[in-house]
Amino acid sequence: MRKNKNALMIAVISVLASLLVGAVVILILGKNPLSAYYNLLQGCGLAPKAKYAGGKSMLTDFSSYVDFWTPMIFAALSCAVAMKAGLFNIGISGQMLVAGFITTATIGYSTIPGIVAKPLAVLIGAFCGMLVGGLIGYLKYKFNINEVVSSIMLNYIASYMISFFIQTRYIDPLSRQSKPISDAARLTFHQIRIGGYKYDLPIGFILAIIAACVIKFIFDKTVLGFELKAVGLNRTAANYAGIRVGRSIVTSMAISGFLAGIAGVTYYLGYFASIQPRTLISTGYDAIAVCLLGSSDPFGILIASFLIEIISKGSTYMSSQAGLESEIASVITGLILLASACNAFFLAKYEGRKRKEA
Amino acid sequence: MNAINNIIIDGMSFALPLFIMAIGGIYSEKSGVTNLALEGLQGMGAFVGALVAYNLVLKMGPDSRVPYYMAMLFAMIGGAVYSMLHAFLCINLKANQVISGVVINILGMALTSFLTKTINRNFYGAASDKFDLGVSARFTVPGLSKIPVLGAFFTSVYPFEVIIIVIAFIAWYFLYRTAFGLRLRACGDNPHAVDAAGGNVAATRFIAVMVSGALSGLAGMCFAYSISAKFSNDIYMGYGYLAIAGYIFGNWNLLPSLAACLIFGFAKSGGYQLVKALGMPSAYSDLVMTLPYVVTLFLLIFLSKRNQAPKALGEIYDKSKR
Repeated sequence: MRKNKNALMIAVISVLASLLVGAVVILILGKNPLSAYYNLLQGCGLAPKAKYAGGKSMLTDFSSYVDFWTPMIFAALSCAVAMKAGLFNIGISGQMLVAGFITTATIGYSTIPGIVAKPLAVLIGAFCGMLVGGLIGYLKYKFNINEVVSSIMLNYIASYMISFFIQTRYIDPLSRQSKPISDAARLTFHQIRIGGYKYDLPIGFILAIIAACVIKFIFDKTVLGFELKAVGLNRTAANYAGIRVGRSIVTSMAISGFLAGIAGVTYYLGYFASIQPRTLISTGYDAIAVCLLGSSDPFGILIASFLIEIISKGSTYMSSQAGLESEIASVITGLILLASACNAFFLAKYEGRKRKEA
Repeated sequence: MNAINNIIIDGMSFALPLFIMAIGGIYSEKSGVTNLALEGLQGMGAFVGALVAYNLVLKMGPDSRVPYYMAMLFAMIGGAVYSMLHAFLCINLKANQVISGVVINILGMALTSFLTKTINRNFYGAASDKFDLGVSARFTVPGLSKIPVLGAFFTSVYPFEVIIIVIAFIAWYFLYRTAFGLRLRACGDNPHAVDAAGGNVAATRFIAVMVSGALSGLAGMCFAYSISAKFSNDIYMGYGYLAIAGYIFGNWNLLPSLAACLIFGFAKSGGYQLVKALGMPSAYSDLVMTLPYVVTLFLLIFLSKRNQAPKALGEIYDKSKR
């Protein structure tokens, strides 16, 4: 419990320090950092804008923000499952893309009614992600290939192959993206009108909360979770204790891929309804920041992803209002990531000093 | 015939920058510091180099050769300085080296794209996300280039290829023929022995990481001057990771790593020539782009088992464990 408190404190300090550095950069560029940060909140529907277009309100922005937030929760949970087992899934973006593309091609362009199509989309996406994640785990276990290198290779292979298929079969000549999917298959009720205002209602968000609880339960209460954690802490010791390390590696990467797959469908068939060829989204990388910041704990991740996504979703509005490049958002995210990478050091320092005082 | 020439020319100009980056990676990993940061280091190096070159071209005109070589120099400095962050995190703050490498990559990408846009807007008054450099001039060695097939190695050579070969020789000499190189390699296998013999593990590792930064920066600049002809986010195409795959495949030795990089290079240029020769539409070039990555994966599958990484790779050196 004490350790959790320290981790929380250091996470808060990391974020504040990064925001402070970001503020200094904004000041140097001659803009007001406070109003820029306020723009971030406004862009996510957490603070009122000066004026709204017809049919829109603060809640419209907020529902769109939740829609944007959902894939990140899954992606960060995916990262956390791998990290608990001592693995590093940097291929989340690739797994999301594979899941998103195959689901789009099979369900998205079909005429299956929504009540069947939506659950089917989630299942197919999760299954595709699981296959890719499991493959990475298998390569690690069977051939001793560093999972970072193999997942990066798979990322690029997936990105180019899918770009090829989109450009030869599914391209929309106007938007230069894949053709939009049918509304029935979409996991977000897009622009639903309730009481005079429009909202985006993501189904995935409910699933994300359930997933966070399930992952928490698996790690805290089940044998599987215990084994994965043991492998992550000390592979040799786990082996001596009779845990099948190879199987645990494949299992954890498969679960990680499973979650990344759902992240993919909630992104490509939820927040968006099409895929941009030749692009790997940054969600998979930002998920690492979220996961580190939330110290790989499912509930920590919920809080951390909420925060990081404010920065990335709000940056568009901030860019238009304050005249700052929206890339400042990824710089701040990068700084948070940098600070969280040093967490272990500061945590050890802090606890060491506490012990000395006691 | 012409196709074979093109395969060799394009393959070499892609393989050599990969190779110099792989040498950097070997330096870092032989000293015991896992370096997944190559991708970010090459990007940051290319950014600094491109910024310098862009400014110099504005001052000295497009005909001067000075900007080109200054860009190479400053790319190395930029890469080395940025790599100090990785070294500091891994060595002084004892951070997880894999995580630190990934952080360096993500932060590098964010910083360079933010700075490119901001500098373009505030100093050059243009809304642009790139620095145009143009493709480097090439030269052909008279006489040698007339030899059938092999002559292609001396045809349309980028000047940076010569620089890379010279630096590669120097790097080999330092790593295998000097006391410093011996100590560096020992740091990756048995840092406690180095410490006992009076060597400074932390300092040696710090220098090794900076070497990898400098060499990666140079490689990034070469890509900017050849493949993309500009600095932009296109520089982050995963070449850093290809270089990593290259030296893992090369078992952390220089010559086998060169072989791996040449395979990547020729797989890529060969694929392009194939698409061209068969007259396929441009979408098929996407399929060809996957070739180096597919080849890498398969090579790793066949070779990873027997490969032996440096023994203390990725381990944080703790004096008190001696």
